[in-house]
Amino acid sequence: MYSFFVNGCQVSTSKKQSLLRFLRDEMHLTSVKDGCSQGACGACTVLIDGETCKACVPQTDRLEGRSVITVEGLTKWESEVYTYAYGEAGAVQCGFCIPGMVMCTKGLLDRNLDPTEEEIKYALRNNYCRCTGYVKIIAAVKLAAKIMRAGKIPAAGADDWMLGSRVHRLDVEEKVLGYGKYPDDYYLDGMCYGTALRSKYPRARVLSIDTTKAKALPGVIDVFTAEDIPGENKIGHLKHDQYTMIPVGGLTHYLGDAIALVAAEDMETAEKAKKLIKVEYEVLPAVHNIQEAAAEGAPLVFDEETTNVQAYKHVSRGNAAEAISRAAHVISHHFETPWTEHAFLEPECAVAYIDDDGDVMIISTDQSAYCTLHESSLMLGTDKVKCQNALVGGGFGGKEDMTVQHHAALITYLTRRPVKVRLTRAESLLIHPKRHHFEMDFTMGCDEEGHIMGVKAKVASDTGAFASLGGPVLERACTHAAGPYAYENFEIEGSAYYTNNPPAGAFRGFGVTQTCFATETLLNMMADEIGITPWEIRYRNAIRPGGVLPNGQIVDESTGLVETLEAVKEEYEAALTAGKPVGIACAMKNAGVGVGIPDWGRVKLIVEEDAKLHIYSGASCIGQGLGTVLVQMTVTNTDLKRDDIVYERSNTWIAPDSGTTSGSRQTMITGEACRRACEKLMEAKGSDKTLQDLIGQEFYGDYLAKTDPLGADVPNPVSHVAYGYATQVCIIDEKTGKIDRMIAAHDVGKAVNPLSCEGQIEGGVVMSMGYALREKYPIDENCKPVEKYGSIGLFRAHEIPKIDAIVIDKPGLNVACGAIGIGEITSIPTAPAITDAYYRYDGSRRYVLPIDNTPYERKE
Amino acid sequence: MAVKKKFPYRSALVACNGGCHVQEGQSCENGCIGCGVCVSVCPFQAIAINENGVAEVDEAKCIACGKCVRECPQKVIHIHECANYIVALCSNRQNGKEARQVCSVSCIGCGICEKTCTAGAVKVTDNCAVIDESACLSCGMCVVKCPRHVLTDLRGIIC
Repeated sequence: MYSFFVNGCQVSTSKKQSLLRFLRDEMHLTSVKDGCSQGACGACTVLIDGETCKACVPQTDRLEGRSVITVEGLTKWESEVYTYAYGEAGAVQCGFCIPGMVMCTKGLLDRNLDPTEEEIKYALRNNYCRCTGYVKIIAAVKLAAKIMRAGKIPAAGADDWMLGSRVHRLDVEEKVLGYGKYPDDYYLDGMCYGTALRSKYPRARVLSIDTTKAKALPGVIDVFTAEDIPGENKIGHLKHDQYTMIPVGGLTHYLGDAIALVAAEDMETAEKAKKLIKVEYEVLPAVHNIQEAAAEGAPLVFDEETTNVQAYKHVSRGNAAEAISRAAHVISHHFETPWTEHAFLEPECAVAYIDDDGDVMIISTDQSAYCTLHESSLMLGTDKVKCQNALVGGGFGGKEDMTVQHHAALITYLTRRPVKVRLTRAESLLIHPKRHHFEMDFTMGCDEEGHIMGVKAKVASDTGAFASLGGPVLERACTHAAGPYAYENFEIEGSAYYTNNPPAGAFRGFGVTQTCFATETLLNMMADEIGITPWEIRYRNAIRPGGVLPNGQIVDESTGLVETLEAVKEEYEAALTAGKPVGIACAMKNAGVGVGIPDWGRVKLIVEEDAKLHIYSGASCIGQGLGTVLVQMTVTNTDLKRDDIVYERSNTWIAPDSGTTSGSRQTMITGEACRRACEKLMEAKGSDKTLQDLIGQEFYGDYLAKTDPLGADVPNPVSHVAYGYATQVCIIDEKTGKIDRMIAAHDVGKAVNPLSCEGQIEGGVVMSMGYALREKYPIDENCKPVEKYGSIGLFRAHEIPKIDAIVIDKPGLNVACGAIGIGEITSIPTAPAITDAYYRYDGSRRYVLPIDNTPYERKE
Repeated sequence: MAVKKKFPYRSALVACNGGCHVQEGQSCENGCIGCGVCVSVCPFQAIAINENGVAEVDEAKCIACGKCVRECPQKVIHIHECANYIVALCSNRQNGKEARQVCSVSCIGCGICEKTCTAGAVKVTDNCAVIDESACLSCGMCVVKCPRHVLTDLRGIIC
């Protein structure tokens, strides 16, 4: 027996296992999150004898007599201080890293109540956060120390919950204290565990599958193959080309393809059983990259296709070639951007069971409960399916596709047992779709004054093993490649290729992160050639209200690119004057899916028995703070107070479908639907009734963001209902060669919660510092991603520069009280701004990300 | 002596566990020989010879002036950042078999640490584990897996 103390109580166990597994599986202390089990992420950080330690590292047999503290063991005072400080500072987004961060905070403050900023950063630096960019977590630690010293918690800085108020997000407490549940935190009675056997080869024909031995292993409930799927094997977000399992005779598409599904009483048995499954393959040559995919006579990734071209887009307006031929200055270059891993802190997990109605209930972490419902229903061949979102530990586009949800649904459907299917971190790195690698050739022509005459481009992307959102990503890459500028001649041709690499799909920025790097870099080169500043060339070309974008759309009064440029002007010029290396870039990003696709927001407000207004919407909060947005929207558009309102997580049986959390769309589109529902509520309520009088009533609001399809035969098509605009500036410290400061000015129409907005900006900037400077996702000759979670190059707390987030409100959008989504654009102009700054620093132009020869580059 | 130090603190580290107990005559050619040169040159009395007969630095006293690093005849001392409490305490560059013969806690270059490390921070270089502190996430997984106790948590938490 090994005996030690957890939160003051003596515990003992005879099983040698990691402390993490003991705390979670045996004690159900689920604040201790399992983010990687490799010692990288820090989400499982606890204190052992007062020192921070990742619980996945020590084994129970080495803990004799030690004292372990988790978030559940905080004193009431500590709990209150950390909840307040993290809320007031805006430090909580998806929340998955937060209990670990809280333990780091306690570890530091227990011995130093007046830490310097550097000391705080060091206390947090072994823990990753992918949402916040650490800025507000550092501020929270500082604030917690101040409160601890004062011995008294002040009143919240803002509490009126109107639009524009910096209120604490509504999910702060459950995330700080760790009682909020992500799917992995569900431990149901009789729950079994499911896991998939993956393909051994990226491209091979499956000749036979023998599960006899695996099925015979004690503790194995069953082993399933493609034959057991009652409905469609092939599912997919848009195109149905993602196999639930590869059937005998079928072709594998990448190393993440499932061959068989094991259900067992525990994970150890399930892992053993996978090794007993015998699969015969005929190994075939794999397609490794765009060139191989495009080559004549290339092996086909799909049996069903006649080509490896997954999508082709051609966007043209005016006559780019002719305009460029007339231009005084012409610059062409080739650009490349890497694969990028989302690296959300919470690995994919789903729990499924048969509910009281006899339906398959899926508890999932995803970007749309309705997508999970539709795809799982398709695969099961029944509509007796429900889905409920648990907390979602980050998405960034990487949780739009099915990874575990459909497998959990299938196991529970076939075994009638509750089941948990969870990806290991290594599986997560392999399986969910990544950011597309792009190869791009751009030509830009300008007149003598730097006005853009025309841009012509050809781009290709590697969309990997199945379509996912490869087509729309390519489309957005093409439509936004023109940049936020007013000119008429633009032509781009894009192709997305299937390969046997892991799939690529949505990732914050959705293709624009890639093409923006090319356009903005060309613009910086052009400014140098013409002899004006990169700021000036943007100001001259900037799209202004009433102007026409290269896609033909006439932009509205909310268009605030110029304001973002003006917001950074003083600092930019001061840096130039002082001779500091400074870089700049701009971006635009649509809010809403746009281009003619029906884009619905739907909200149902129900006054329930508790005489409170419950907000239901089938729209996932993936950490960005949608629940808080909808409550602020409701308080603003009704006469209700915060305490009258309850936000309900997305589900598929009460909440109406409000589309995927994608395309920076929820704040605006679901926000407008919410506003409309509030109008109906207020019509019924008037000023004389109370919620008590309305118990049982429902108020439904919906909003269709109507747009024109790409290539619509109208003079000025409306491609998107709204666009956000941004300018970011990067200043490098000449002594160290590191980034001293990032300034990010964002036009958001109306900031619903400026605190959350800043959090999005800081998080987006740091995420793209990784994209620009260090993050890699190399894939080997066997089409296998080689890096682990700790080595992909994510930025750490002590490495971030000063980040100035400037939120600019500009009225003019007539929906959602003027609020435009900010999720993606925060990550778009960062890389070209940084690249330009490094050119000013060392005179070397870089055309490939991540850029080389900086202090951030990882030593090999 | 009160020593003022600038955060992040740095300190000298003697990369030797002293497993060969130099006083017993057995010796490792790359390890600390307990000569005491570092002890005598240290202006801050931060170094002492420990029970294994090898030099050990008191990180609370050391200011990372580097004097011992320069004077050590065995080149077994280097400067590291104190926040990186996971360290490799061996400098033996002999192959696994020889390293095993001269010391009970020597690095045998088995590479388990390298395979274990999520951050790619440990590399076996010249038959000996070396930690790149700029990449290390201080998790201690290598400490748990190291069969030779070369990798060590200076805080004494992970073992």
